[in-house]
Amino acid sequence: MAERKKLKCPGCGGEMNFHAEKVDYSQALADPESMDPEFGGALEEFHTCPRCKLTVERPATD
Amino acid sequence: MDSMNSSTRLPGKPLFIPVILGTPRRGRRSEHVADFVLSRVAAISGVETELFDVRRMAFSTNDAGEQIRDAAFSAAMMRADALVLVAPEYNHGYPGILKHVLDSNLKEYIHKAVGIVGVSAGPWGGTRVIENLLPVMRELGLVTIFWDGNFPNVQKTFDKDTGALLEPAYVRRLEKFTNELVWMAKVLRYGRENVAIE
Repeated sequence: MAERKKLKCPGCGGEMNFHAEKVDYSQALADPESMDPEFGGALEEFHTCPRCKLTVERPATD
Repeated sequence: MDSMNSSTRLPGKPLFIPVILGTPRRGRRSEHVADFVLSRVAAISGVETELFDVRRMAFSTNDAGEQIRDAAFSAAMMRADALVLVAPEYNHGYPGILKHVLDSNLKEYIHKAVGIVGVSAGPWGGTRVIENLLPVMRELGLVTIFWDGNFPNVQKTFDKDTGALLEPAYVRRLEKFTNELVWMAKVLRYGRENVAIE
């Protein structure tokens, strides 16, 4: 499987580590376009920066 | 103060393990428990801590969830590597305000460790509040440890005026709890920072 491109930390510019995914049902209610029909909610990714510890949540990319 | 667990010292950044006192009730005995837990966590080498008292937090009650975030609390949760919840058992459940406060964040908790300390006036030491919190922890993305803190008969365990611990056995019991919590916090920090989903 091809390695994902690392997200750049908005806090310090370091490379973030993608370590979690979660379905957010309330987000899908607020923004129906964000709903992934296979999960019934918005699929979110979580990335953490090893340097400054910031965690970023964003819509899943795949 | 003595320093516990010198083997927990980390070569890099210290672990940050805040303690959340989960009840605002007047006359609460959980405050003595939280102070005791805070002192034991603070004594661990390589660990920093801070007490967050729901009584001192000004969260809105006309909304809920991430819409009512408190910037300072969210920043602390983002910095945290693990949490300790000190929660009394009220009618077999957790204080509603504790859930209200916890629900104000999400991404801040993902893949972080949590240990729960139950408090009760009766003989069961908050076992039911702990059991009721477990599915909440899981949904918030927190990872529970398998040691609990149980403080039954809390009115007999601490001096009601000074808060001094009257039952020395709790020192060793809590050390087992914090040993597991620190281990889990280290493992999860390594995972958050280095182990990627493929």
